[in-house]
Amino acid sequence: MATTRERLKASFLLGFRGEAPVARGGYETAPIPSKTEIVTAARRLNRAAGTIAASVLVDSAMEHYRGDFRNKAMWTPIVTSALSIGVSVHGHVDGRHGAHPLRDTVYVAAGLTGLVGTAFHIYNVTKKVGGFSWQNLFYSAPIGAPAAISLSGLMGFLGERVRDNKPGTRPMVAGLPAGRVVAALTGASLLGTTAEAGLLHFRGAFHNPAMLLPVTMPPAAAALLVYAAVGPAGVARPASRGWLAATAAMGIAGVALHAYGVSRNMGGWRNWRQNLFAGPPLPAPPSFTGLALAGLAALALLVDDKDD
Amino acid sequence: MLSNPFSAPRARHGRAPDVFRHGAWVSMREHRETDEVDFAIVGTGAGGGTLAALLAEQGFSVVAFDAGPYFRPLEDFASDESEQNKLYWTDRRVVDGANPIQMGGKNSGKAVGGSTVHYAMVSLRFRPEHFSARTSLGYGADWPISWQEMWHYYDLAEKQINISGPLTYPWGPKRPRYPYRAHELNGAGKLLAKGCEAIGINWTETPLATLSAPLSGPEGKSPPCAYRGFCRFGCTTNAKRSALTVWIPRALAAGAEIRDLAMVGRIETGPSGRATGVHYHREGEWHFQRAKNVVVAGYAIETPRLLLNSADQRYPDGLANSSGLVGKNLMTQSNQAVWGRMDEPVRWYKGPPSLAITEHWNYDDNKDFHGGYIWLGQGPLPNEWASIQTGARGLWGQKLRDAMLDYNYMIGVKMVGEMLPNEANRVTLSDDLDQYGLKVAKITYAWGDNDKALIAHALEQMGRSIEAIGAKGIFLQEDDTNHLGGTARMGSDRRTSVVDADCRSWDIPNLWICDGSVFPTVGGVNPALTTQTIALRTADRIGQLAAAGEL
Repeated sequence: MATTRERLKASFLLGFRGEAPVARGGYETAPIPSKTEIVTAARRLNRAAGTIAASVLVDSAMEHYRGDFRNKAMWTPIVTSALSIGVSVHGHVDGRHGAHPLRDTVYVAAGLTGLVGTAFHIYNVTKKVGGFSWQNLFYSAPIGAPAAISLSGLMGFLGERVRDNKPGTRPMVAGLPAGRVVAALTGASLLGTTAEAGLLHFRGAFHNPAMLLPVTMPPAAAALLVYAAVGPAGVARPASRGWLAATAAMGIAGVALHAYGVSRNMGGWRNWRQNLFAGPPLPAPPSFTGLALAGLAALALLVDDKDD
Repeated sequence: MLSNPFSAPRARHGRAPDVFRHGAWVSMREHRETDEVDFAIVGTGAGGGTLAALLAEQGFSVVAFDAGPYFRPLEDFASDESEQNKLYWTDRRVVDGANPIQMGGKNSGKAVGGSTVHYAMVSLRFRPEHFSARTSLGYGADWPISWQEMWHYYDLAEKQINISGPLTYPWGPKRPRYPYRAHELNGAGKLLAKGCEAIGINWTETPLATLSAPLSGPEGKSPPCAYRGFCRFGCTTNAKRSALTVWIPRALAAGAEIRDLAMVGRIETGPSGRATGVHYHREGEWHFQRAKNVVVAGYAIETPRLLLNSADQRYPDGLANSSGLVGKNLMTQSNQAVWGRMDEPVRWYKGPPSLAITEHWNYDDNKDFHGGYIWLGQGPLPNEWASIQTGARGLWGQKLRDAMLDYNYMIGVKMVGEMLPNEANRVTLSDDLDQYGLKVAKITYAWGDNDKALIAHALEQMGRSIEAIGAKGIFLQEDDTNHLGGTARMGSDRRTSVVDADCRSWDIPNLWICDGSVFPTVGGVNPALTTQTIALRTADRIGQLAAAGEL
């Protein structure tokens, strides 16, 4: 029997295309039970949810630390995102069919946390002098940030709905073809996250041309997903998959670009204790990676959805 | 290795300090004194520094002189108010009149970059009507340049200086978006905003010449503002957009030569009556640089002083002075304040001192006096705050100690107000000599009735605004002034002005004056942006005149 750790290693190596537990890099892997397409898609969504939650965990921990945890509620996203990571890992290693009540509970809680957080952040903006002004949108609690934990919850929740389909059946979510639902919701989520990046990059006056990437690539990815959501199923869409993979890579590259942004502040990385907070947030860009992974899951579901 | 910027010139041997990198140099083209350069520019601040860059970029040969040292901000500047007094022009001067002007940090600079090295970076446009104050508003004098033309050059200046400002400016005609976004308001800025809202007038984030995001410009790489709060004592990070970090590096890259620690004492004129060059003091001796054109950009005290000190047989009253106006119509700006204590800590020292502004009283004409004013949030550092306590309140001993303990709770707003031109307010030469053996400036100043009415109005309005947000123990600082202007005014009639709209002197066609001295009126806003804007226009005009063979 392979240990959980080995299974984890192997399955991460599979990436989004890996349906079969093939051995790579010399790792011995045991067969994952019930390796149906439904479970594969659900696990992809768990990975998407986990990636977004990881971004939220580090980002909210840093930003709320900067805010001195002045309000006890500022611990909420840290706890919720940590739980979301936990259940996402659980879902990722879980090869069984059927939604898991604990995962469902955490994902729903994450979704609600984001909503409540958004309300808190809006309150934070409006209570400041000038109210709903650019000054406060730029520098008060970021309106769009809490939505990220909701998106983690949403992706995880969708994963559970997909997983809840019986093996061999056509995967449905709320009575609609799962691939289409996931594609549409992921597209919308990408647009929301773009708005957040757009606002903050506008605050930075797009001083570096690379700052245009997260306001151009994700909307195009969203458009491709929306097209896939309403277009024909059973199509491979290699260009769309490629674009989403590139968007996922952009989220990772964003960390490096933000690291460069940190270095552009006075003292650079030598002054990391200050500049990690003054500069662009390192953990923010992988939110796009998480959403792009969900988009890839949606496209895979649509390819597999032969009955449409 | 650190060298003393005062002990010997740094810009020489074909290189000048690279202000953006520790210990680094940039190459500098050098001219022989026997070379007749196209332009000798006296002063390297908002007027001279700007012009040096723009003229060199047009291909003119340029030597720009500054009496002060060539500082390396990353290495030479300390977070210490007293140490940073080295940035100011504190040479001997005589002040008199009913309201003598206190000369120093608020109205002078002695450094490459001039007073922009320590300015508060407030970058405002004049109200359009202020350019035609006489015909539109019935006071002062008209500028010879239309506001529309100034608006065009303001656009260019804001872009090239890379101002950080609000997305929508509440007053005046539409202007383009500022290149960078406004900075985050500090406690003092937020309270100014609250105070304005409490009395029903507009406020906005102040357009500031300091970066709100990193910049890689043609001049070099700058980090964004670190909100250290020492802006008025020299920015150690180069986030500040001063002549030292914007124009001088561009000037050097375009082939201009900078001569630091070089005090110009006299402009020479030849048999034709044209200027032939400048006498300057550097490294213990006097030198002469030949030039086809001379630009004087020493600000409103040193510019008239140099013109008057350059008197010769042909021009016994000083150069460019056939109108008799050189040195006259000196204007400062009223800089009174109201201060009070809040119940909660404010910590006004964080960030640039003037992050929020109301310009309401520049645009509202429903007043029984001429002119306008703004007020800005404040963040005096402890030394300055102590001097306000002793000066404005007369506190000393235990009372002063107690008052200083409230430092973190204090707020204040300070005006920048228009003072009207008056020929009796003037710069003349005293018989006293300075360390170079040159006659020092005598500065005579008295407030007029209109000035006093404007100040009284401002104090009343500012007092209301901070009272409305719960400031307690409110007190007034009634005697303070800052920026200067007017001692070589521009105009469209040679009988009533010293230079024309192109900053070219009426009397000597190759003698130019390009700094705050040329302002016919000072408007109700900080002048630095307007000075740089005038320099941008002058550079364009010089290019056009040269192309037409009219230089």
